[in-house]
Amino acid sequence: MKAPPFIYHRPETLDDALALLAEHGDEAKVLAGGQSLIPLMALRMGRPAHVVDLGAIDGLAEITEADGAVSLGPLVRHEQANRSDVIAQHAPLVAQTMPHVAHRAIRTQGTVLGSIAHGDPAAEMPAVVIATGATLTATSSSGERTIAAAEFFEGYLDTALRSDEILTDVTFPAWPSTAVSSVVEVARRHGDYALVGVVTTLDITDDIVTDAALAYFGAASTAIRVSAAEQSLIGSSPSREAFDAAATIVAAELAPPADIHGSTAYRKHLAGVLTTRGLTAAVDSIGVPA
Amino acid sequence: MSANTSGLVGQSVKRVEDDRLLVGNGRYVADVNPPGVLHAVFLRSPLAHATITSIDATAARRAPGVVAIFTGSDMEAITHPFPPFAMQPDLYTPLYYCLSSTTVRMVGDPVALVLAESRHLAEDALELIEVDYEPLDTVASIAEGLSPTKPQLWEKANGNVLYDHVHTFAPGNESVDAVFAGADRVITERLSCPRQSNQPMETRGSVVEVDPDTGHMTIHNATQSSHMLRWIGAALTGKQSTREAAKGIIANKERRKAFLAGAKSFLKENAEGLKAQDNDGMKSQLKADKSFLKHANLIGVGLLGKDDYPDVVAQDIGGGFGAKGSIAREDVALIAAAGELGRSVKWIEDRVENLMDGGQAREEDLTLSIAVDDDGTFRGLKVDLVIDQGAYPGFPVGAPLASAIMKVMFPGSYNWDAFEMRSRIVATNKGKYVAYRGPWANETWARERMVDIVARALKMSPAEIRLKNLIGDDQMPTAMITGPKIDETMSTKKTLERALELLDIDQFERDRDTALAENHYLGLGIASYHEAAPGPPGYWECVNPGTETLLNEEAQATVETDGSVVVYTSQMPHGQSHETTYGQIVADELGVAIEDVKLVFGDTRRTPFSILGTGGSRGGPIGGGAMKYASRAVREQLVDAASKLLEADVADIEIVNGNVHVAGVPARGVTFAELIAQTAGDGFEATRSYRGKGDGGWSVATHACIVDVDLDTGKVTFPRYLVVEDCGPIINPAIVDGQVRGGVAQGIGAVLYERATYDDDANLQSATYMDYLIPTSMEIPEIEVHHMETLSPGGENDFRGVGEGGMIGAPAAITNAIEDALSPFGARITSQYLPPTKILELAGVISPD
Ligand SMILES: Cc1cc2nc3c(=O)[nH]c(=O)nc-3n(C[C@H](O)[C@H](O)[C@H](O)COP(=O)(O)OP(=O)(O)OC[C@H]3O[C@@H](n4cnc5c(N)ncnc54)[C@H](O)[C@@H]3O)c2cc1C
Repeated sequence: MKAPPFIYHRPETLDDALALLAEHGDEAKVLAGGQSLIPLMALRMGRPAHVVDLGAIDGLAEITEADGAVSLGPLVRHEQANRSDVIAQHAPLVAQTMPHVAHRAIRTQGTVLGSIAHGDPAAEMPAVVIATGATLTATSSSGERTIAAAEFFEGYLDTALRSDEILTDVTFPAWPSTAVSSVVEVARRHGDYALVGVVTTLDITDDIVTDAALAYFGAASTAIRVSAAEQSLIGSSPSREAFDAAATIVAAELAPPADIHGSTAYRKHLAGVLTTRGLTAAVDSIGVPA
Repeated sequence: MSANTSGLVGQSVKRVEDDRLLVGNGRYVADVNPPGVLHAVFLRSPLAHATITSIDATAARRAPGVVAIFTGSDMEAITHPFPPFAMQPDLYTPLYYCLSSTTVRMVGDPVALVLAESRHLAEDALELIEVDYEPLDTVASIAEGLSPTKPQLWEKANGNVLYDHVHTFAPGNESVDAVFAGADRVITERLSCPRQSNQPMETRGSVVEVDPDTGHMTIHNATQSSHMLRWIGAALTGKQSTREAAKGIIANKERRKAFLAGAKSFLKENAEGLKAQDNDGMKSQLKADKSFLKHANLIGVGLLGKDDYPDVVAQDIGGGFGAKGSIAREDVALIAAAGELGRSVKWIEDRVENLMDGGQAREEDLTLSIAVDDDGTFRGLKVDLVIDQGAYPGFPVGAPLASAIMKVMFPGSYNWDAFEMRSRIVATNKGKYVAYRGPWANETWARERMVDIVARALKMSPAEIRLKNLIGDDQMPTAMITGPKIDETMSTKKTLERALELLDIDQFERDRDTALAENHYLGLGIASYHEAAPGPPGYWECVNPGTETLLNEEAQATVETDGSVVVYTSQMPHGQSHETTYGQIVADELGVAIEDVKLVFGDTRRTPFSILGTGGSRGGPIGGGAMKYASRAVREQLVDAASKLLEADVADIEIVNGNVHVAGVPARGVTFAELIAQTAGDGFEATRSYRGKGDGGWSVATHACIVDVDLDTGKVTFPRYLVVEDCGPIINPAIVDGQVRGGVAQGIGAVLYERATYDDDANLQSATYMDYLIPTSMEIPEIEVHHMETLSPGGENDFRGVGEGGMIGAPAAITNAIEDALSPFGARITSQYLPPTKILELAGVISPD
């Protein structure tokens, strides 16, 4: 289990990194925390000829807040996010998510943006990105562009990032004071990628749901929202009946692929169950009776 | 003479291994790096079953850093095939070489060996070897193994059923069928246990170190049986013509003598036992495949004609669970390659290889019929067992021995009028079946599962039906229907009674009601068994005549001239804490501190000969017994010398903290070193062999657990798990608890997490830890361990093994509890593996895809 030969680059500026990517394109891979890339290389399933390590570039591990919106740079580790006061205060959903990502040892290395760029359908962060409508910034040697959350995840481990681009920023929009959220999931073992999970956000004003997001992971080839279920909640007041109705829609709409850890029927069922659990957990935090 | 002067036996003495291991000072095979060592990797088949039409290593040979490449046919020229071992009537053991040359029979089948200057370069070169495969139809399941229309894995076998034999035990005057006909009813169920894998933290590995001056080999290997590896390694490599070998026999008398010394005395001491070997087994083998004789001849003559014999050194080992008791095909290939090249070679298995080819186990179909009277009295038991051996037989022990033990242990601790068992072994295109912690464990799982099924049919409680049928003290001494003797140490019934006292059934019923509100279903499960750990003398004669000889165990105790105590064992610790427990025993016998006892193990140059090494829960009772009597003999020598020196009666000599003195006058005592110096001796030494005693040697337990099944998610947790175990007098309670808990953890793994999964074409689906799920500390509940210490009549050296029991009892208790939890849905559990999907299917929450 040794990686095939590759050329290792450790640029000290973002421009140098971008120049390397421009030069090597498809042949190159960005290395952030390495928790996904390195195992793939060791198994010889990923075979980049060039590895561009971001680790020596200063200033990429920033967590900043402006007008309530929170931005993370590409070297922010999961565990750093987990302990960040800024995130706890302004991006409570991200804070809720972190403990679900892998184990602490992996969280101290793995990065939040790496998780988004990797685009694993069973990972938590892509679902958070689409649930919140976060904005992603991709930078290449020819400039920057922003990509909307809904456009970012294109397929299984496939995103809108080009091979010469680095994901340099994710910005979560300001968290409405009326919003509540939850992250619930079921994994075979503690710390495993989820069999199915759901990120839930609800905007509740005067006991009426004004906005809702239900973003599922482990349920399709990308993280996925079920808008019919979201729509069913909007305009109603949070209640067990409303939640169960949403769950029924979800279980009918999703057809998660089977693997050796769970059948399609099982994951469908789980998506329904977790919908109710997620919605209940979300409103629990504000004491709305379910 | 009171021996226990320091009184360490029976105490939870801290493990003396831990200081070394926990600070990273353990020394494992991977830590051995002889100068100039070459790194080995194996090219493995990506297909489950195929013919190799061509193999071309030209490009790979030219790759940077590559020193040599051996293909299957290269290896056939310089090695012998693995011979059959412990042959049984009606068993065919396929003969196979260390690498495959014409046919691959499983994903991961090794077809070439690359040796290069680094592991990276070796792996790079591996990709340049071109192999053309012609795929063959695959045999992927037990059903396909039994099917006559599937291609045959082994040309000389009769189909893919390599063993088919019926054993019948009906001691009364009624036949098995008559007993069944006479019972009020017969209840039948087919149970199946999916494939699991022994997963040690440390994978397999070997460093064959070649002395550049002499060519002498030292094999550093993570092996449970270093002497076996030395013998088989020497026997199967260095193939030569009979003529050359004969010359060697004449030329190398002295060396040969040393090599054979251990084996010769072993053979002499065990002549009787060996005679008992079943000739019918040999006949079955020869009938299918005479080539074995030719190979055996060449192997034997070649072995005796060798110029030099390797030594084996095993140091720290990160677990094995039976898999490292096998001699690996890789081991043989590496020894042969090192011999050819005259250079040291090193192979550390990676996890993917380990999951493919490191050893798998337990895949068995078991159809049980119990003849029972309406009042719950067991009358007869019939078992139809089929074992999926996979592509290659584990060497030396695998499916045949597992079935032989099951045949003896299936009746469990119950009374029966008759028992019959048909055993079949099928070959399939999957990883090889090896011994896994309690290799026979599915007799307990299937029987205890079935007992619950019978209880339910008769509307009795699981405890009631067990208590009614368990053999009680009032019947002792007696014997199992299959032969082995039983005394009070087979205390199964008492452990069950104790477990029932410890369980608070009323509280359980209340919790059960409360849980329903959350869609959680609670269930209670019990399982009771006894295991031969090591069993009474004569036990192995019932299992497989002639194998009793393997049980012999020798230990040597010495006091060196500087007074230090050094003891030698042929047991091979790989996590069981031998250094601590043997230290306790020796320290007590010799009256020294545990820190003053040094245990030597794993090094064939220094340790007594034993073909088996560690296995079969023998470390405590047999290895510990040999250690006790060897050190007791040394104590006698010490006391004897001291009585002369101090002019006192032997009976008045005491040893306290290494001070040998006349009772009451420690100030005038002498140390061991002084004693040796003053009596002009050159140290003390004694070797003792031991193989158990009496009618006992049973280790016993009842497992009881409460499961909580979440019917929203199919997840199972354990509000309570308790084990009442009886391994006789305990050497170290903390270590016993650890062994029991580790075994239970593996049992939980077996039921809820671990499965070596193959698809319909025998492609391995669980080749990494993303897919082969081992429970972590987060999945394992607190496990209460309660001890009973039944003594066997006649006292002395009454230790019994606990290495395997935890894993034997757990799957039955857990699956029984889950069936109890799902009883409102009429669920019947017939598989040992119950992942969340299966749980919800059983409860009718979802339908199968
Ligand atoms: C045992 C284990 C359990 C895990 N469990 C979970 C889990 O439960 N949930 C979960 O979400 N994750 C889990 N992970 C994955 C972990 O969170 C990873 O860290 C994460 O998915 C990737 O982050 P990284 O920084 O390690 O990325 P890397 O491994 O460095 O990179 C991953 C991929 O993303 C690309 N990449 C990384 N950063 C950028 C960037 N800024 N711009 C462009 N491309 C980039 C790389 O080129 C590569 O293709 C687990 C990992 C392990 C080993």
